[in-house]
Amino acid sequence: MKLKVIIASVIVVLFVIFGSYSFMESNVEYTDVAGAMAKHKKVQLKGFWNKEKESAFDATATQFTFYLVDEKGKECKVVLDGAAPNNFELATSVVAKGRYLEDKGYFHATEVLTKCPSKYEAQPSEMKQGS
Amino acid sequence: MIGEILVKAAFAACLVSSLAYFLHHLRGTPGFLKIGRISFFFTVGIVVATSAYLLSLILTHQFQYTYVWSYSSRELPTPLLISTFYAGQEGSFMLWILYTSLIGLFLIRHSAKMGYESQVMSVYALIDVMLLLMIIVKNPFETVWASWPGQVEAGFIPANGRGLNPLLQNYWMVIHPQVLFSGFSAMGVPYAYAMAALMKRDYNQWIKPATPWLIFGALVLGTGIMMGGFWAYETLGWGGYWGWDPVENSSLVPWLFCIACIHMVLSQRKTGGFIKTTLVFGMLCFLTVLYSTFLTRSGVLGDTSVHSFVDPGMAVYWLLTGLLVLFAALGIFMLARRWKEIPKPAAQHNYYSREFALFLGATAIAAAAIFITVGTSSPLITDIVQGKKSAVDIAYYSTTTLPLGIVVGILAGLGQLLWWTRSDKSEVLKTLIVPAGLALLTTGILAVVGVSDVMVALFVFASAFALFANIQVAIRIFKGNPKYMGGSVAHIGLAVMFFGFVASSKYDAKETISLVQGQPTKALGYMLTYDGYKPVDSEKYAFHVSVEKEGRRFSVAPIMYYSSYNDGLMRNPDIVNLITKDFYLAPLSLEQPSEQQNGTIEKSTFKTGETKEVGDIQITFLGFDLPVTHTAAMMEGKDITIGAKLSVSRDGSAAKPVTPAKVIKNGQTSDVPARFEERFEITIAGLSPDRESRENSTVELAVRDVMRAADTPAAPDILVAEASVKPYINLVWAGVIILLVGFLVTIVRRAQEAAMKAGVV
Repeated sequence: MKLKVIIASVIVVLFVIFGSYSFMESNVEYTDVAGAMAKHKKVQLKGFWNKEKESAFDATATQFTFYLVDEKGKECKVVLDGAAPNNFELATSVVAKGRYLEDKGYFHATEVLTKCPSKYEAQPSEMKQGS
Repeated sequence: MIGEILVKAAFAACLVSSLAYFLHHLRGTPGFLKIGRISFFFTVGIVVATSAYLLSLILTHQFQYTYVWSYSSRELPTPLLISTFYAGQEGSFMLWILYTSLIGLFLIRHSAKMGYESQVMSVYALIDVMLLLMIIVKNPFETVWASWPGQVEAGFIPANGRGLNPLLQNYWMVIHPQVLFSGFSAMGVPYAYAMAALMKRDYNQWIKPATPWLIFGALVLGTGIMMGGFWAYETLGWGGYWGWDPVENSSLVPWLFCIACIHMVLSQRKTGGFIKTTLVFGMLCFLTVLYSTFLTRSGVLGDTSVHSFVDPGMAVYWLLTGLLVLFAALGIFMLARRWKEIPKPAAQHNYYSREFALFLGATAIAAAAIFITVGTSSPLITDIVQGKKSAVDIAYYSTTTLPLGIVVGILAGLGQLLWWTRSDKSEVLKTLIVPAGLALLTTGILAVVGVSDVMVALFVFASAFALFANIQVAIRIFKGNPKYMGGSVAHIGLAVMFFGFVASSKYDAKETISLVQGQPTKALGYMLTYDGYKPVDSEKYAFHVSVEKEGRRFSVAPIMYYSSYNDGLMRNPDIVNLITKDFYLAPLSLEQPSEQQNGTIEKSTFKTGETKEVGDIQITFLGFDLPVTHTAAMMEGKDITIGAKLSVSRDGSAAKPVTPAKVIKNGQTSDVPARFEERFEITIAGLSPDRESRENSTVELAVRDVMRAADTPAAPDILVAEASVKPYINLVWAGVIILLVGFLVTIVRRAQEAAMKAGVV
């Protein structure tokens, strides 16, 4: 009986440790440009698209390059695998998931999410007079 | 007004029903039972009437109601128009209430027969009461002038609604939410039965009437989840059938607890043990529905998900929190009150018994559900711990659930081979030889083919073991009484689905490619050629790509279109099912060489009155041709045209007036170029009108020489797409369907048994 309880508790404890470890490992932190440059792991880089600087899609490498500015005004070149995401032009802010590559001097993103001025939030100004 | 009155009447009737049923439980006065029953019938009647009323408002385009205006429009075809009933939060709660009420009708009959009516219905009606409270606060019958007092005049009727999000304009929208919400409603029943058991101090009999409901819930919710996965895979272009998104997880977790509870019930039935675990799992089926609703509807996930979760306001937040706390507290209270008197099983468990395997299996399933819940809640957890919300990477979910999947696979085979209570080690080992041997062989073959990861190999072994063991059992049962095959069929489905998971997720190949029109490009061993696009209906475009591999030819046509509703590009993938694999092409964008590259273009910026030579012609910018009322026009959403008045001459010829223009229509700008001498095309490249002092206005003009253009060939369009090959994805769909068929077989048998029993009594 006692042995049973001990084995069960050990299994439970192991699972809790395993779960928390996986949780910490895969917790992708939100950060700014300075934070992304300091950390050498996968982060979510939050900022705005710098429309002043050129952004281009390279068809041969299938990569999209643009410049991101964070809230502190620090800029960083971002290279995304794939084309510009949905609503990129309209996004109020963007979040790039990936890691900063020191040797190449840019942030290599695997995914870019866009935050858009929400159309889901209805505004009375959208209404037109009916009959 | 009618709508609000109906909702409040339903709320009152349902509250009376719950209270009367509870009083009947306490005192046993027959009058209370009658009141409880009649008021629940009233509730159902009013809820059906309310739903019909809301539907009629939608079908007759009563846009003065904010909900109708927000989600529907005149252009929608009828099936989609009906589906706008549950396109928003208010309506989806209405749908949930409708199904909860309808299921309640059957529950009254069923629980009355089993002698549980007053306890079960007092709890179940309370669920309905709380859901109704939700739509009293989040009222679908609010008028636009009540929604925006002061901004919208009373009595105002908008001409048209905002319409349904194009993402949702799909036949799945018609069926998927209905099935899912029926499943959510069904999850309320096990909770009600578990509470009833505690109220009645009847810890063993309750599982009998609760079992068919659990299986029904697992069947319906499982079907709903599968439909959602297929929708995501086939139309939404998320690249897969499962993205571990909060919305997806929120239906998976209750389903997992439901499955765990079914296994506990089976175990308790045979042994009389595991009473507390079964009660807790029964409650968790419903509590996790409430928790997921809280996560996905209250706005707590914030910006951490791809889904945009609208912040519904503090009232809804507190109501959802209250709902969860209330039902969790009731459950904990009842459990705590009865904890000591719940009988403990007398007999010592045998580890080589089916019931112990079932217990372990249920625990592993529940552990997976807990891991998924923790992952989904990560924005909440990180907010508390770090003060910053962040979501876990989706790799977390596969890392944590994979070992549990291995355990579940092994137990799904083992549990079916073991006998209840008694067990003989040598006999068990004998039955194990064939399936374990075959599983080892399968794993060996697949290891040679390409399974290199140890965990994945173990998962493959576990799945193969479950498959062969259950086939063995299924054959044995089929020879005896095929009605009892449900369990083994469901486990065969599980094993097939597991194989599908491994093949389609661990061994899929993906590549982002740029397809230059007319130029064959090689990707993943296929030769792809982009042939051009054609309109499919008024605003959608299909991008035709022909694919060739070893003499086999087929074509795919993914769709992209601009949606003004979402202010963005919508993309639908196209899939070719090649039986052993799917070829999946998700469009990303169409890169059109910027402006008119076919031709020489020269650009120049002009101030008002300035003359410059651009290419071979002399241009003078005279000023803008601005409509006086253009600000007003823009506010009303009318088209406006801005022209640049020019005077153009060439080689000293007489100057001619030319006016290129820009047209702004529905917020979209388009160019109207002007021609000079047929050979030169002048376009406005940029403009900055200055209304205060017109002489400061500037315009940038682009002049294209068409004659020279003829010499340079047009640059072709480039289609950027993600091509992927998903091997054996059909196994996922086949596995899920076999799994659900297993449930169906079981539920039919149980229903027949119940009918027979009822006939005898």
